[in-house]
Amino acid sequence: MRKQECVAMLLAGGQGSRLGGLTRKRAKPAVSFCGKYRIIDFSLSNCTNSNINTVGILIQYKPFLLNSYIGLGSAWNLDNPSAGVHILPPFLGDAEGSWYNGTANAVYQNYEFIDFYDPEYVIILSGDHVYKMDYSLMLKFHKKKNSEITLATIEVPREEASRFGILTVDGDERITKFTEKPAEPDSNLASMGVYIFNWSILKQALIADKGEHLSQNDFGKNIIPQQLKQGKRVYAYKFNGYWRDVGTIESYYHANMESLSAGHFLSIFDPKFRIFSNEDILPPHFVGASAKIENSLICNGCTVHGKVSNSILAPGVYVGEGVEISDSILLPYVKVHDGSVILNAIVGENAEIMSHCIVGAEGKFAPDQEGITVIEDNHLISAGSVIEAGTNVYKIQAI
Amino acid sequence: MLSNAIGIIFANSGYYNLQGLAKDRPIAALPFGGRYRILDFALSSMVNSGLRTIGLVTPHHYRSLLDHLGAGKDWYLDRKAGGLFILPGVMHSLAGTNHTFCIKDMHHNLEYLQKDFAENVIIARGDQIFNINFEDALEVHNEKQADVTLIYKACDNLGDPIHETILDMDEDQKVSKIRYQKAPERAEHVQSYFTNILIIRRKLLLNIIEKYSSNGCMDLIDILTINLEVLKIYGSPTDSLIGSVRTVKDYFHRSMDLLDLEVREKLLLGEDRIHTKIVDNPPTRYTSQAKVSNSLIASGCTISGEVLNSIIFRGVIVEPGCRIINSIIMPKCHIYKNAQTEYTILDKFVKVNTGNVLKGSSNHPLVVFKGTVI
Repeated sequence: MRKQECVAMLLAGGQGSRLGGLTRKRAKPAVSFCGKYRIIDFSLSNCTNSNINTVGILIQYKPFLLNSYIGLGSAWNLDNPSAGVHILPPFLGDAEGSWYNGTANAVYQNYEFIDFYDPEYVIILSGDHVYKMDYSLMLKFHKKKNSEITLATIEVPREEASRFGILTVDGDERITKFTEKPAEPDSNLASMGVYIFNWSILKQALIADKGEHLSQNDFGKNIIPQQLKQGKRVYAYKFNGYWRDVGTIESYYHANMESLSAGHFLSIFDPKFRIFSNEDILPPHFVGASAKIENSLICNGCTVHGKVSNSILAPGVYVGEGVEISDSILLPYVKVHDGSVILNAIVGENAEIMSHCIVGAEGKFAPDQEGITVIEDNHLISAGSVIEAGTNVYKIQAI
Repeated sequence: MLSNAIGIIFANSGYYNLQGLAKDRPIAALPFGGRYRILDFALSSMVNSGLRTIGLVTPHHYRSLLDHLGAGKDWYLDRKAGGLFILPGVMHSLAGTNHTFCIKDMHHNLEYLQKDFAENVIIARGDQIFNINFEDALEVHNEKQADVTLIYKACDNLGDPIHETILDMDEDQKVSKIRYQKAPERAEHVQSYFTNILIIRRKLLLNIIEKYSSNGCMDLIDILTINLEVLKIYGSPTDSLIGSVRTVKDYFHRSMDLLDLEVREKLLLGEDRIHTKIVDNPPTRYTSQAKVSNSLIASGCTISGEVLNSIIFRGVIVEPGCRIINSIIMPKCHIYKNAQTEYTILDKFVKVNTGNVLKGSSNHPLVVFKGTVI
């Protein structure tokens, strides 16, 4: 049983440089999100819940932590005998071989992998989106429309439309125009970066694109516009749920904070559509006698003695006596010692804030920044340090 | 990592009803400590000691036990060779008999012991709470070329309500006498209490089973006591046994012990983790009305009320105005607005309606059955 109807190709090789200190040591899909998750959990869980059992994960940038997190994919129920998760790094062949050069090039270099499973359809996914989506409904739409390429789309606020790839559709949902980041968008229908291709069409397109010397070998910038120009049947599937791209510190921060609200999809455990994650084995969290927690998410293995408000504590975080944490995200195993204050900050994994520090103290920051302070993974902030908001937004020197 | 030992866990030792908490499940399957079941402690201790072949002797009502274990994946026991073995106990339906390690149960599952190549067998009960790495004890067992090594705890009282077994040992830790003491008597000085965990040579165990299986329901411990002269039996100490669970009071106090940092460090926060079934719950959400102190809270909860000195399991909802004090709330309970519980144990899926008040006492915690609506 080798043949699969649909194979997923998950793009997880990007550097994610706009996430600054958070991706210094790990690929973006392996960055912690909403406490117990890592960003790749959403795409992998969606695959499982959509009955897509064959997933190729294209990796390139700092893959070790990502690879060890994915393992055999068993945490997402993807360890199937006839399919499963495949980690696909760049490799050498007889005549050629190179680093992945663009999203389309990464898929092109792995055409043998896709051919091995001989699918009808290939779904292209991104490893840095937060959403819960049943791809099987999109595939059904793709078949019903007799489409050759289907783009998942979502309506975005008009004023933000120029940040996305914007589509124009006709009465039959067929796409007539696609513009990447238009200055004057003529619709608010944005591409989510999730595509279903007929494998035969995709293969042709990738080969043609490989021959274009000026191409950036990118799905959004090159493949989709070229195929539209050639008159292929390209349709827009409208997705109505929650979807966020968490490519920047600001969008990462806000997407995390949104999960504090009661109706958020992550706050409701849906046994029929579980968001799986490969969590560490930790005991329940302990709340000390002097603790005060409000409007926050707390994960397993935390110990809280101080005050936490409007914040997210990932697994294994320690919050000492007299600590105040507000509007902040503490990633796994962060330690904050007695008397420290953390405001409006993202503290990286395993970082340690010694006693009586102030992180995110009032300071001046550029008007286009929000003054979110980011502390890189594994940093030790020595006792009594004062770190101003915005002054070191993306990078803090080792102290 | 060791592989020269296999394990047997008796999940059928002792039939105590625990006021209904153990009516439809063995004590081994009782939820404990916010996200575990009591069996997890024996199982994880063995797995963390390098064992990858573990047999589980089942009681008559084992559905919840097997539901929890599945193929043993969460304990790394889904192995190509070895792994988790279910050993049907013969004591089915014979409630009221209180054996620790019944020879008949092992005779019934003799192939499990015959087929393996391991030198030693580690035997434990499924209703005790401990986190012991057996590597040291096994090393001593092999160094002394012991036939049997009994794990003991030096203290003045183990807290077992029925009877306790005390070991007398010479300077070389060789056991010279195994005594029984009616509990609960508090000794005047520190004694070596047998923890009901032992290491025995597999071939010796097979010989014992063959010799004694025709004698009705004999207990392995009794056989060892009879043969103390001819066997090389040694003792090995541990300090990480927290206790066994035989009564509701035991269950309540062993649970509340977890609010003590020292106990948590011994049991849950060390290098050897207690593994359990993973449910992928989201993080626990505290709303702005939450007021929690000195409590252990699992994932997937929504807390809007007051929680004090309590243990809250996965997926519990505590609405605004509630007061949960000195209570144990098992998975998926829902406490509606302004309800109160004090010294109360709510079994799974209990609903406490608006404004209701439930009160027990420290010595007699109130137990509410699974699925009750109050």
